[in-house]
Amino acid sequence: MNLTQQLINGLVLGHAFALVAIGWTVLLGVARLVNFGHGQMYMLGAFMTWWAISGLGLPYPVAIAVAMGVGAAVGLVLQRIMLQATLEQNLVSIMIMTLGVGYVLHGAAALIFGSTGQILDTPLSTTDITLGESFLTYQEAAIVIVTIVVFIVLELTLERTRVGRLVRMVAEDPKLAELAGVNVRNVYLGVFAFEGAAVALAAAMVGPRTPILTSMGFDEVIMTFVVVVLGGIGSVYGSYFAGLALGLFTAFFGALISPAYTTAAAFLVLIAVLVLRPGGLATRAR
Amino acid sequence: MSLSRRTWGLAALAPLVFFAPTLAGGSGAVYSAAVLIAIFAVMAYGLDMIVSDLGEVSLAHTVFFAVGAYTTALLSTRAGAGGWTTLAASIGMALLFAALIGLVTLRLREFVFSLVTYAIAVVAATLAQNWSFLGGSDGVRGIPMLVLELPSVVLQAKNDRELWPFAFALLIITLYLIDRFRHSRLGSAAVMTHLNSRLAIMSGIDPQRVRLQVFLASAPITAAAGWLYAYQRAYVSADILDSYFLILMLTAVVLPGRRILLGPLFATVLVLSQEKFLSLGGYADKIILGSVLIVVLAFFPKGLAGLWDWVVKRRR
Repeated sequence: MNLTQQLINGLVLGHAFALVAIGWTVLLGVARLVNFGHGQMYMLGAFMTWWAISGLGLPYPVAIAVAMGVGAAVGLVLQRIMLQATLEQNLVSIMIMTLGVGYVLHGAAALIFGSTGQILDTPLSTTDITLGESFLTYQEAAIVIVTIVVFIVLELTLERTRVGRLVRMVAEDPKLAELAGVNVRNVYLGVFAFEGAAVALAAAMVGPRTPILTSMGFDEVIMTFVVVVLGGIGSVYGSYFAGLALGLFTAFFGALISPAYTTAAAFLVLIAVLVLRPGGLATRAR
Repeated sequence: MSLSRRTWGLAALAPLVFFAPTLAGGSGAVYSAAVLIAIFAVMAYGLDMIVSDLGEVSLAHTVFFAVGAYTTALLSTRAGAGGWTTLAASIGMALLFAALIGLVTLRLREFVFSLVTYAIAVVAATLAQNWSFLGGSDGVRGIPMLVLELPSVVLQAKNDRELWPFAFALLIITLYLIDRFRHSRLGSAAVMTHLNSRLAIMSGIDPQRVRLQVFLASAPITAAAGWLYAYQRAYVSADILDSYFLILMLTAVVLPGRRILLGPLFATVLVLSQEKFLSLGGYADKIILGSVLIVVLAFFPKGLAGLWDWVVKRRR
């Protein structure tokens, strides 16, 4: 086993996990909402990027913007449908509805894009950076950079801006925030639009690493659960480091034991964490 | 309606349901749909106990369904086991899995509980696809026909028409068990834990114990459906853990409204009739089924029963 190569793989994978999970981290931290359609929204983001590049002939950065726009729109529609249940904090309904949305998205994507796999090639994914005996693609380097930028911008937005303050107020106490004149509905809608756009961005960045299929999305959801729970529910920094840890674990588990069972292994880590520390690892959830 | 009148009403309805496939033309396709409806309804009744009575969303019930089907497939093809043995083993394995999952998730609440049960279902699907013991991606083929030996007769089913009495019997037994559960001490303890857990604790109920017991009671029901499904399809593969079964179960539970004895059966009839006789193709059917689930929860949270009440009030 080439240790440096596995370290690189692990770091890339870790940033990918963190980026895929970021929308859900905010969703859970701010609105105490879950989205079981997250994986299918990831799938949709990857296919929108693919379609914008190979169908419309758009350049990669514009294709990313298209995918993010569609993702945000899906998020908005989804949240508009679930608004009543969200305001009532009816989690049972929300969970089942988001599962239904994932199922509808899968059916719709398979109807439109077909059920065969596609390759999402970008200008960055076909060229390598060589580091001694190890290598990574420019695409993988871009995943790391974009993830770091997104996390920094998100943290600054939440901590330093007026929008961030409103979002944190709603996270703290929706009823009190409403009394203080915050439009809670708009915050919920905005958070869901962010979730949609963020997961589409993640798909546009991470999708090129593997062939894309309309039936994918389940592994992404599991990895997102693990990142969110391991990082401490709703903690932005926590989920970044949880993503990294999970990426390294997955890379070494895949190289040393079996690549087929990495999701299962990550899941066992999740169970262990939940049984030992039911609140996740971070003590303070935002 | 008093209990006895209700029981009489149901007893009068039973023969009608039994002869429904004959009345609907008696073709092979009708019997096949009827058998599947009975199987999927039984599958959904297991989940119904968790969602409607306990108020939690278990997404691991597809695993119990698969446990029943795989246990049956492996025992009947590799050990030549008969119908009673595979049924007993399916129930036993389901209890084992339910105890494991139940103990691990005992202290997890609402969405964390659902996340973990969902993860269990996804991991189970990867295991089924990759583990050669379970036949890998090919699955287990060549399951023999269902044979149930009784002291004086040997019952067997070669096709869906002959399988229908078995499916019907399984459905009736399940309905009886669900009804008994709802009138049992455990059933009321579950509802109490769900609606007001503090009050439940004050009246001496241990919510964790109740949760585990309901979980243990519900898993064998769903597994029994998997048992019959294995015989119906004659092969079992990883697609038994497809999200279709999960969405179908949830729709069956949510669509009619909660805690209505015949609700999940009625909803399964609606969904399967659409898929078998008015299908628009697999993917379009997915969009229909998922949309039904979303629309019901978003606009009629009390299900068809709530919609009915609303219509009745409007007409007055």
